[in-house]
Amino acid sequence: MNGTRTSGGLPPWALVTRREVMVKLTDKAFLIGTAVTALVIAGYLAFLVWQSERTSDFQLAATPEAVAMAEAVSDAAPGVDELVTVEVVEVADTDEARDLLVAEDATAWLHRGSSGWVFTTESSDESTLGDVVREVVGQQALAENAAAAGTTVDELVAGGQVRSEFLRGDADRAAVADAVGFVFVFLFYLASLMFGMQLAGSVIEEKQSRIVEIIAAAIPVRQLLAGKVAGNTILAMLQVVLYVAIGLVGMSFTPYASFVPDISGPVVWFIAFFFAGFVALACLWAVAGSLASRTEDLQSTATPLTMLMVVMFFGGIFLDGRAAVIASYIPPVSAVVMPTRILAGGIEWWEPVLALGLLAVFAAVAVAAGERLYRRALLRTGGKVSIRQAWTSAE
Amino acid sequence: MLEIKDLRRSFGDKVAVGGVSFDVPGGEMTGFVGGNGAGKTTTMRMIMGVLGIDAGEVRWHGHPITQRDRRSFGYMPEERGLYPKQPILEQIVYLAELKGMATSAARAEALELLERFGLAERRKDPLEKLSLGNQQRVQIVASVLPRPAALVLDEPFSGLDPAAVDSMADLLREYTRDGVPVLFSSHQLDLVERLCDRLVVLAHGRVVAAGTVRELREVGAPRFRLILGNDAGWVRERPGIGVLDLDGASALLEVHEAGAEQGLIAEATARGAVHEFARVRPALSDIYREVTA
Repeated sequence: MNGTRTSGGLPPWALVTRREVMVKLTDKAFLIGTAVTALVIAGYLAFLVWQSERTSDFQLAATPEAVAMAEAVSDAAPGVDELVTVEVVEVADTDEARDLLVAEDATAWLHRGSSGWVFTTESSDESTLGDVVREVVGQQALAENAAAAGTTVDELVAGGQVRSEFLRGDADRAAVADAVGFVFVFLFYLASLMFGMQLAGSVIEEKQSRIVEIIAAAIPVRQLLAGKVAGNTILAMLQVVLYVAIGLVGMSFTPYASFVPDISGPVVWFIAFFFAGFVALACLWAVAGSLASRTEDLQSTATPLTMLMVVMFFGGIFLDGRAAVIASYIPPVSAVVMPTRILAGGIEWWEPVLALGLLAVFAAVAVAAGERLYRRALLRTGGKVSIRQAWTSAE
Repeated sequence: MLEIKDLRRSFGDKVAVGGVSFDVPGGEMTGFVGGNGAGKTTTMRMIMGVLGIDAGEVRWHGHPITQRDRRSFGYMPEERGLYPKQPILEQIVYLAELKGMATSAARAEALELLERFGLAERRKDPLEKLSLGNQQRVQIVASVLPRPAALVLDEPFSGLDPAAVDSMADLLREYTRDGVPVLFSSHQLDLVERLCDRLVVLAHGRVVAAGTVRELREVGAPRFRLILGNDAGWVRERPGIGVLDLDGASALLEVHEAGAEQGLIAEATARGAVHEFARVRPALSDIYREVTA
């Protein structure tokens, strides 16, 4: 970046950046899109909270001789399933119980059968209540039978329990890591595709309208590219940080709140990788824009990039084991694979540092190569420019 | 003064500009004419530094031109270039800022110029909502901010109605009065003849004629129209005189030897009535056709 400064004090690239950011921030479509996405994230988390706090109330009808067992079910229910409460409805006889069921004033009717107990419902399965009833009645019967045999339940089941154990982390954590990892990959994919397309579009707009000639006569083309990449990077970072913040804050209200501290570290890494990866890709998107002469050309000039995005997306989601370890060092795929590895845990501190370093080197090379291509292709009109033409042609 | 020295530029095997030299003196309007593909736009792009130069140089006030010098120039590219969807005032101010102008000054001057072109109340409209002529006016405003040290305008008058041409010409004259060199290209020869002090004619990437309009019209053998009272066939016999056209009593003549026309007049008056004897200066379009042929 040379020292050309404007009298306003801002270097030219900063003026370009300011314009890029202001144009987007006053663009209704962009604002609405961002707000809708934020609402969807918040809404999904709110749904999780609602789901987790929603208790199911059941009415269990029982004739006098079954009331004791029904009460036992009601007492034990929260212990079996914390989202289930059971209210006992005492009925005089079998007919009244049937009437209640038909009128749907009771969920189920618990009564003694020829051997053991019968759980009668109107027609639907009511498995949630059924599971609780079976569990409690089974325990009750087991305890009674054990007492009759002169032993206890604990003695009977001693040595027969199987406990789950994980060598690394635990199942919930792994599931959360998988889910958050997917979110990371998806966010990166979405942001770099969306902002990349926008950046390429705005390069074409300048090229097509020829305003680029006026700008190129006023400031070095390098500063124009730097300003555009910086502006879009700022916007993408703002958007991703907003989404991630909503996600983390929202998550702290869900049953997954205990995982928030575990995720926070990887989130910081994710943002660092996002930054380096985005800058590299943004430069390439600008090149894709400069190679096109009209908006219609972008689809073909951007094909290598869109393919790269797809590879990164699926790589981030499906790679595991040794392949993931290798991919987590290869830029730009490392931008999504390493953060998911960090999430899964079990990596050395130097691994992300090394991967980030390599990604930064890649970004620097992409910026330098991108600048050369951009500068040469930008003022060529009349159809698409091939990468080779742009690379070898005189300015 | 802007000096263009032996500029050359090729695209692959095709020579677009093959050694073009001319001057654009301060305080004068220089018209740049030539057919399509003559190399006008390529030359102007090289002057403005948006296109690399294969050989030759551009000098400004006697030294090789720098990026800094170019930043102080006003430039209007051939295909109109502004952001279609951005409000007009906003983008004029942005471009002025890129050229180093402070925001407030840029706003004030832009508004003043928009006012002058009757566009002040449309300052918040996106460019694409304006008529083509008005877009052109906005383009001009954008190119003269901040007050330019030189103006390089590629086809500034195309698409303008006569009133707009006049107001644009007035604006340009204000700059030349202040000593600013103005170079503009045009296909409209009548306009060039009316507005320009000097002319550079380009054909196939080379300068085929250059000079003031008057100089160009004086180039070549002086021509006279002679209309007599009777047949003018005898003029063919006069020494030092070429006959371009002869029609009964009327003849178009070219004087090859200085003073030969004096003898001609003497003989004409001796032979009878002379209704007309007048110098004929070729129209710019005739010169243009001749030099670019």
